[in-house]
Amino acid sequence: MAALRQFLTLNAQILYWTFVAPFAGKPTVRIDAIFQQMVRIGVQAVPMAALTSLSIGLTLAMQGSHELARMGATSYVPDLLSITLLRELAPLLTGVVVIGRSGSAITAELGTMKVSEEIEALEVMSINPIRFLVAPRVIAMIIMLPCLVVFSNYIGFVGGWIICNFALDINTTKYIMRLIESADMMDLISGMTKSFVFGWLISVISCQSGLAVTGGAEGVGRSTTKSVVLCILVMLVVNAILTGMFFIIEGPKG
Amino acid sequence: MSETKRETVIEVRDLVRKFGSRTVLNGISFTVEKGDTMIIMGGSGCGKSTLLRHIIGSLRPTSGSIKIFGEETTTMSPQQMEKLRLRFGMNFQFGALLQSLTVGENVALPLIENSKVDPAIVDLVVKMKLELVGLTGFENLKPAEISGGMRKRVGLARAVALDPELLFSDEPTSGLDPIMTAVIDQLTMDLTQKLHMTAVVVTHDMASAFRIGTKMIVLGAGKRAGMIIAHGTPDDIRNSPDPEVQQFIRGEPDGPVPLKLAPEDYIDRLLGHDRDKGLSY
Repeated sequence: MAALRQFLTLNAQILYWTFVAPFAGKPTVRIDAIFQQMVRIGVQAVPMAALTSLSIGLTLAMQGSHELARMGATSYVPDLLSITLLRELAPLLTGVVVIGRSGSAITAELGTMKVSEEIEALEVMSINPIRFLVAPRVIAMIIMLPCLVVFSNYIGFVGGWIICNFALDINTTKYIMRLIESADMMDLISGMTKSFVFGWLISVISCQSGLAVTGGAEGVGRSTTKSVVLCILVMLVVNAILTGMFFIIEGPKG
Repeated sequence: MSETKRETVIEVRDLVRKFGSRTVLNGISFTVEKGDTMIIMGGSGCGKSTLLRHIIGSLRPTSGSIKIFGEETTTMSPQQMEKLRLRFGMNFQFGALLQSLTVGENVALPLIENSKVDPAIVDLVVKMKLELVGLTGFENLKPAEISGGMRKRVGLARAVALDPELLFSDEPTSGLDPIMTAVIDQLTMDLTQKLHMTAVVVTHDMASAFRIGTKMIVLGAGKRAGMIIAHGTPDDIRNSPDPEVQQFIRGEPDGPVPLKLAPEDYIDRLLGHDRDKGLSY
């Protein structure tokens, strides 16, 4: 319960420093810090996200064609790909990649700063650590995770295309046409909404765990593990909730 | 303020801090006037750094009051505290530099974040402050690339970057060579005497303490842990009748603070308290 309260307070502080402070004549979140974090969280994660989604695209197409072939419906493989990737797998797996790469790094970095008195030093210098350290990371993650998801979608489709084009009897034109036909706007909106929410949750949970570190190097390790586990659990649960919400909004598809 | 009656900068009264059942600070009271260099002495683990943390507002006391520039800080809101903290600098025991920034950026940080000065001036001030602590030319190194003593001096340069009215130093000279110790001592004295800065220094180094201190307090150990056992000018401390104070300032291994436990106690501790109950040896 105390952790939940801290989580909400931290959110309120981030919102304050992002949206209220600039208009109240207070120091603002530094733009260069945001860009620096965007490079670390987003750009540098591109190879890993690409490899992950390529493998998933390949696997999905292979498994799907297996099952669909029994019903003689291999031409529906692109449909399967577009829905599963756009709605579920791209946001989830990119989320997992970002948790592993950046979420853990954020917790470990802030935790180390906490135990080596750097956070306290910032406070004594009247530099608010939420503004200086937390807000740039959260903003960068909320911007970059959706970007990575869009990128993952494309690479996932490339993976699917490799199977469809070389192993099944679906040529490039047919593949692209079927993808466009089967996907509707709601698939994209649903996936993108998820990626925003995941970006927000991952970054805030990671920062909160980092700031809560006590007890030296061992504490940093413990908090980092806990934060990664918590991020993944929260992401999966929230994913189910969001899918449920979209299911209710759209109704079962006919 | 008139010349005879100097302004009180820090006033600590009946400060008590408990961590669980352990009382770390037990009724600390003292005042620091403008231009003073207050030395806080005491054995390792007696609560010196904890006391400093309370004065800078990182920790809140269990009871008691702390006034800085006449303002009560123990009940202050974080916003008020932030404003007050602009008027003081803190030199941490291990420097507490941001590892991700260079030495120069670390010193520039309070200037960039808390004032709207031109980057060219920031650059100039950084060079001046690093010169003060004898680290000219180290601007572009990362804290991980310099020694512990150097990090400490960068910490001091950062603490005085905004020319604070009040400087806190946590063991500024431990781990420094004798020449650097003298440089840092001279710097502290210059700042207090010429610029009328007020300094609060926690130290173990007796020579340095008596060189720069104008007022001193000694925190006790053992039964008197967390209490002030001596208070006054360096001469008062030197002539203190208290044997524990004498032991401390002369650095004697045995005295009121015992070197070792008495033999019976020692056996008790080693074997637990139930040696009569059948533990044969």
